[in-house]
Amino acid sequence: MARRKVKAKQGAASRGESPPKLDVDSRAEVLYADDEPSAFASMLGGLIEANVRSHSEKERDFESLKARVGIWVTDIDEGVTLEFSRGKLIVHNGLKPRRTLTIRTDADTVMSLSNLKIGLLGLPVYYDEVGRGVALKLLTGKLKIEGLLPNVTTLNTVTRIFSVQ
Amino acid sequence: MAVKAFSNEWAKAFKDEVNRSSVYKSAGKGWKWTVGLVVEAEPDKHFTEAKGIVMDLFDGEARDIKVGAASDAQKCDFVITAPYTRWKEVATSQLDATKGMLQGKLKLKGDLPTIVRYTKASQEMTLCTTRIPVEWPDEK
Repeated sequence: MARRKVKAKQGAASRGESPPKLDVDSRAEVLYADDEPSAFASMLGGLIEANVRSHSEKERDFESLKARVGIWVTDIDEGVTLEFSRGKLIVHNGLKPRRTLTIRTDADTVMSLSNLKIGLLGLPVYYDEVGRGVALKLLTGKLKIEGLLPNVTTLNTVTRIFSVQ
Repeated sequence: MAVKAFSNEWAKAFKDEVNRSSVYKSAGKGWKWTVGLVVEAEPDKHFTEAKGIVMDLFDGEARDIKVGAASDAQKCDFVITAPYTRWKEVATSQLDATKGMLQGKLKLKGDLPTIVRYTKASQEMTLCTTRIPVEWPDEK
């Protein structure tokens, strides 16, 4: 299993600007199940790792979450399974069995999901422009979430971890 | 009039197109990092030498866009690398840049949460490239 190494981003710092805060003492672990993680797997794993290491509230969510979440991007025919195990994430190429939730949507909506703002009580905001767009995709079937009803809390936790806002 | 792909004239046209875009002006608010595009050589497509495009983008404005060596672009805060053919696909609307990144056709280096936060701005920049009439070296 490939272990991703965490590197602080140097560019902004070298220009005297605030670099993204990275908590190198974080216990969060992101691993890859495949010897050659797909570009999508690397991107999602990298995004979650950066989020968790720079926001203590996201790290708390990460430490508490136990779920297998599949994401299938319909317009590139690629997907991943994110296996969260209380402080550890294993990213698998493709959809693996026994998923708690499966999100199926296009690439643009995946980006929108990670741009959802988090509002009061840690709930995703669905009333601003991005949120309305996501809600509309859900209503029109362009965003499908399997296993949603019994796992709304899990979905909210995943959304908080995933969100860059 | 068409400009040569990834030439100084192309860079100027790109900068003008970005600065004409009200969508970019709004979506790029708060952006303060340099972006480098590395166009890898493909001699069989008559694109014989890798080039680097260095974009100084600030707060919804393109302050400068220059074409130079690939090594210059690689020093930027965010670097997107792809062979000539891929960039041509992006600039001719045959490849969506977001999908290209998720598929690994365009390789991205830089802070992922930041670039994801500015998805709309990067999509608009891609649209700006599609509005420039280009003379492609493999179509001569």
